[in-house]
Amino acid sequence: MIKLIRAYACAVLMLSLPGAPASAHPHVWVTLRSEILYASDGTVTGVRHAWRFDDMFSAYALQGISHAKKGQYTRAELAPLAQVNVESLKEYDYFTYARGDGKKFNFTEPVDYWLEYANPALVLHFTLPLKTPASTKAFQVEVYDPTIFVDFEFAKDRPVALSGAPPQCELTVDLPHQPTPAEQARLSQLDFAPLDASSAYGEIFANKMRVTCQ
Amino acid sequence: MRFSHKRVAASTLLAISLVLATVAAQAAPFGAPHPTGGTWPQSSMTAWIFAQQAAFYRSLSGFIRASKDDGSAMWSLFGISFLYGIFHAVGPGHGKAVISSYLVANEETWRRGVTLSFVSAAIQSIVAVIVVAIAAVLLGATAKSIGTTVHLVEIASYGLIIMIGLRLLFVKGRGFLTALRAFGWREPQLEALFTTSTGLVKLSVDRDGSMSHCALCESDHAHTFHCHGDDDHEHHESAWSHAHGPEPAELAGAGGWRRGFAAVVAVGLRPCSGAIIVLIFALAQDLFWTGVGATLLMGLGTAITVAAIATLAVAARQTAGRIASARSGVGMLFMRAIEVGASALIAAFGGLLLAGYMASEQLWMFTG
Repeated sequence: MIKLIRAYACAVLMLSLPGAPASAHPHVWVTLRSEILYASDGTVTGVRHAWRFDDMFSAYALQGISHAKKGQYTRAELAPLAQVNVESLKEYDYFTYARGDGKKFNFTEPVDYWLEYANPALVLHFTLPLKTPASTKAFQVEVYDPTIFVDFEFAKDRPVALSGAPPQCELTVDLPHQPTPAEQARLSQLDFAPLDASSAYGEIFANKMRVTCQ
Repeated sequence: MRFSHKRVAASTLLAISLVLATVAAQAAPFGAPHPTGGTWPQSSMTAWIFAQQAAFYRSLSGFIRASKDDGSAMWSLFGISFLYGIFHAVGPGHGKAVISSYLVANEETWRRGVTLSFVSAAIQSIVAVIVVAIAAVLLGATAKSIGTTVHLVEIASYGLIIMIGLRLLFVKGRGFLTALRAFGWREPQLEALFTTSTGLVKLSVDRDGSMSHCALCESDHAHTFHCHGDDDHEHHESAWSHAHGPEPAELAGAGGWRRGFAAVVAVGLRPCSGAIIVLIFALAQDLFWTGVGATLLMGLGTAITVAAIATLAVAARQTAGRIASARSGVGMLFMRAIEVGASALIAAFGGLLLAGYMASEQLWMFTG
């Protein structure tokens, strides 16, 4: 009997323990276009993003934003919302993760950000400067949401561009790979062991851009 | 014989845990990252549900738009919303785990399980409609304030779930300890003698916290202790005897609806982010009422999934009960242990959800 109780206590514990936060329903879809920026000396200085939100989320984000003309929003009218966007994204590291030669690179706060309304979708433009310019042979940027609440997808045509890169640099774009059975199994346990922002699980679904310079 | 019983009990236990936990979340809550890409193995049911719900959700905007000019598109929209509700509710949230645990802890009937599922899904839809109607339609609030409102409602919901879990844990814990005592583990933990104005009183507290007092009455020439334990009171199995709350047994009857109502309100309070977005999108197209219809049908779909999972939970509990009733002593203890476990799960879910809110990212990821 005691064994039984112990077994149950153990089962309960196992079910309740795994971790904190966040259930994941994707309710935001982002179509992604990015540019990797280079200085004239061949170092990477940052990443410029243009994120197009799906039309339902765009309508949600536009709710209550005052605008002069129905169905139109000017850049100025959207400026406060763009400000809120980039401020909110800070907590999530802008969903942008850069690495090179086995090292992680950090970004500073975004610059040059604005929202564009291309009916029916909102497009968020912003530039993430690297804290220190990277002079690596291999540079990689991943865009994903660790909690998989936001679904990122590369745009169909020209998803990534290099701006001012040395001619010997070559760009490769990797789409999210097919989950392995183990990753599939993890997916089905999200209710008990939800993903939090520190989890690397969402990386499976990362959109990867890699640049190698010989 | 005893050994085999244990084995059966253990596997039933496992089955119940599965229903409470894994089954409730069997299908992944994640929309296919690229529904059109076909990157998901076709063999996996999870993947299929996944892809379906993501595809349904994304097609909603088109149907909402179309229903502006075309009345028949509205019916397609309602159909898709209903299907989306069914598939989407397989993911986390929507209170499946909490409701299932609640049903197991309280030995509820199938009929009540289904009713509670439908009521909680209905509340969930109605809360979404009310939030959007007041915040967006009447006040013209921004996404940011709507996000904050949803946030606050969520905290209230999770807090209530924790409270319900703890309350059940308290009641069921007492029931378990009573069963344990009946099984022969009674040991007074603490004994004290007091001299009072009426004579000598022996106070003993058992390991389950029940207290008995024995008075040695001066007038009683036999000089014996007259003991009064908690068992002498009417509500001997319930911690609520002092609060004059309902007995666990009453919960299954008519009076229990009020208690059940508290659980479904706690679960249903939290509106689904998807419903809020759909409603606001509809509002932006000047089709608020179409959005309301779609939301209610989503709720109906959700109710069906939640009710199906609740049915599994009730069935598992009844199977366990049948096995347990074959052995009165151990069986009783076993069932009480399951109830305690289910109650603890409710509290744990509430705690995790509440903790999740702090690091959680929902609608306010972009809009503050």
